[in-house]
Amino acid sequence: MKRTFTRRELLRLMMVGGGAAVLAACGGQSGQSTSQQTTAPAVVSQPGSKVKITYWGSFSGNLGEAEQAMVKAFNESQNEVEVEYQFQGNYEETAQKFTAALQANTTPDVILLSDVWWFGFYLAGAITALDDLARQVNLDFNDYEPVLLNEGVRKGVHYWIPFARSTPLFYYNKSIWAEAGLPDRAPETWAEFSEWAPKLVKSDGSRAAFGHPNGASYIAWLFQGVVWQFGGQYSLPDFTMTMTDPNTLRAAQFYQDTVLKEKWAVLSPNLNQDFIGGAIASMMASTGALAGIQANATFPVGVGFLPRETNFGCPTGGAGLAIVSRAPAEKQLAAMKYIAFATNPTSAGVWARSTGYMPVRISTKQTPEMIEFFKQNPNFKTAVDQLPKTRAQDAARVFVRNGDQIIGKGLERIIVNGEAPSSVFADVNNELTKAAQPILQDLKAVEG
Amino acid sequence: MATINELEQAIKPVVVRRRHIPLSLLGWRIAGYLTLIVAVLIIGLPVYWTVMASFKETREIYSLPVTWWPAKPTFNNFSAAWEAAPFGRYYLNSFITTFFGAGIEVILALFSAYALAYLRFPRKDLVFLLLLAALMVPTEITIVPNYLTVARLGWINTYQGIIIPGAAIAYGTFLLRQAFMAVPHEILEAAHVDGAGHLRILFSVVAPITQPAIVTMALLSIVSKWNEFLWPLIVTNTTDMRTLPIGVFWLRNSEGLTNWGVVMAGSLFLIIPVLITFLFAQRAIVEGMTAGAVKG
Repeated sequence: MKRTFTRRELLRLMMVGGGAAVLAACGGQSGQSTSQQTTAPAVVSQPGSKVKITYWGSFSGNLGEAEQAMVKAFNESQNEVEVEYQFQGNYEETAQKFTAALQANTTPDVILLSDVWWFGFYLAGAITALDDLARQVNLDFNDYEPVLLNEGVRKGVHYWIPFARSTPLFYYNKSIWAEAGLPDRAPETWAEFSEWAPKLVKSDGSRAAFGHPNGASYIAWLFQGVVWQFGGQYSLPDFTMTMTDPNTLRAAQFYQDTVLKEKWAVLSPNLNQDFIGGAIASMMASTGALAGIQANATFPVGVGFLPRETNFGCPTGGAGLAIVSRAPAEKQLAAMKYIAFATNPTSAGVWARSTGYMPVRISTKQTPEMIEFFKQNPNFKTAVDQLPKTRAQDAARVFVRNGDQIIGKGLERIIVNGEAPSSVFADVNNELTKAAQPILQDLKAVEG
Repeated sequence: MATINELEQAIKPVVVRRRHIPLSLLGWRIAGYLTLIVAVLIIGLPVYWTVMASFKETREIYSLPVTWWPAKPTFNNFSAAWEAAPFGRYYLNSFITTFFGAGIEVILALFSAYALAYLRFPRKDLVFLLLLAALMVPTEITIVPNYLTVARLGWINTYQGIIIPGAAIAYGTFLLRQAFMAVPHEILEAAHVDGAGHLRILFSVVAPITQPAIVTMALLSIVSKWNEFLWPLIVTNTTDMRTLPIGVFWLRNSEGLTNWGVVMAGSLFLIIPVLITFLFAQRAIVEGMTAGAVKG
């Protein structure tokens, strides 16, 4: 029992270790000793022998089994490349280990990085441009969902290919909905939901109408969509922080009111559990949880697009694949072959059906298996239908180191402590601006 | 014998007066028992929950209000956990790394504590101060430098890579030095006179007397090696080198819903061997204490 970390503690730990390591990596180390993983000859050109590559991923449980199955299918589909899948813990641990591996020269060839991590490694020059490699394996970027693909593009160059991508959805408990006499659909606007909500609350306090996650379970991700809905944003693309924008503050005030003034929403560290247990009637949560919730809920589960306010707003999330720039050319090409396979229209369908992540290819939606699957799982179709309306998250959350937690803690102060949004978000704005400084410098060095 | 008679006399009045305990004393006693009960609940409840959850279906675990007894007890979680990952291999790796890791740690601690407690050498205080300083460094901070060292030695994904960086821990030396200091000087001098060397004194005189401290230290070491998660995760890459805690972690879902029944079953795989070790070791701790008391 000596070392158990909460996610937050781990993150903090990584800020200490990882920050220094990324900085050191920026300094441009040249190769030291040969790496552990690449003790095989760097170039394998004899015909008949396979190129062996290492793939670091973050999925465990059912998702891990699906990821292993994908690697196995690839290895059996051809005889030029053999991928070894190595589980490295969750997104944070994988990124931390990659940071250490960059210093020690023990890097893999292809790596799964989450939305908040890939950018830092791009700045450090640790992941490579993919366009040349994609051309060599005839990868058609036009068939990828543009909103997902473009998130991994810098200066017109692809660095991060969408793989396990999710979006938030509005989940509701159909039994409670029926009991309250509400129409069987998600609310179209927050104004409409504010009218519905009092009917969904149980007066003895055993049930709230809606649940917010806490900072550690990524409230800043779900709030991202709400901020857009209210016409605000976290930051502009040039890293100007806009947390004190009147519309951003309006969204924060709305969040505070749901819990403290209207009292129909609660902050919960374990949203999925409360939803399945019936302690909350609705929530916004990742599409990735859909299959698990449907399998374990004792009531029919309804889903819908996120509610609108002045606009519609819904962020994307999840992880994508990148190729390590230090890997030898031949391994990079082999890694690209794997990425092309894992995200081809058929594989993307298999992956989406077994995990609940979004199909990253446009043509996947037209495959007979997918059409059949949509018929059986109309809720999943709702998630996919919402996809074209989503957009990439603001730099403040995904590109600023620890930005997610800075915003999340600010929201906790507003919702739990009842502090005024304007003063809290002014603090958050300052903190984000400060945290963005080193990134802007690196960005200037890398992109000019 | 005289001590025992005195003891009996000291105890007797309490026994006789039992029915007429003054109110204040009764109050203290009730408070004591309440604290005991609270402590047992705080420690025991999570364990109880783990055991019960491992026999429940996932749906039942997620349902509110919570059930304290599985409605439909099932063994499926255990087979599901066992099949989800190569737990046989994890057991082997955990046994190897714990046995050698804790073994080396205990031996190093024994020798270094002996030197610090009994030998005279220059700058001994400085050495002890350094040791205390090492005690204050959180292991998390040493992870990155340790990783770099191990990687340059080519020890990534090997047993020595898991074991060696954690083999010498300052707290073991510190704990045993304190215990050794408490051994009466006369006994050591008697052993000297009888012509015993350092090794003989350590293993035939000091070690038996301080057995409870040594066993306690060994136990702490075993438990911490057995449960260690972050270091083995970082220093290994492939499934066949991984240890049990990583196996349990693998059962959890990184996103979406976790199948808690299976995770709890996996946790039991992890807990049970330590529990058995503890039961055996506990006997040694108690025996050590009584042995010392009677002889003394």
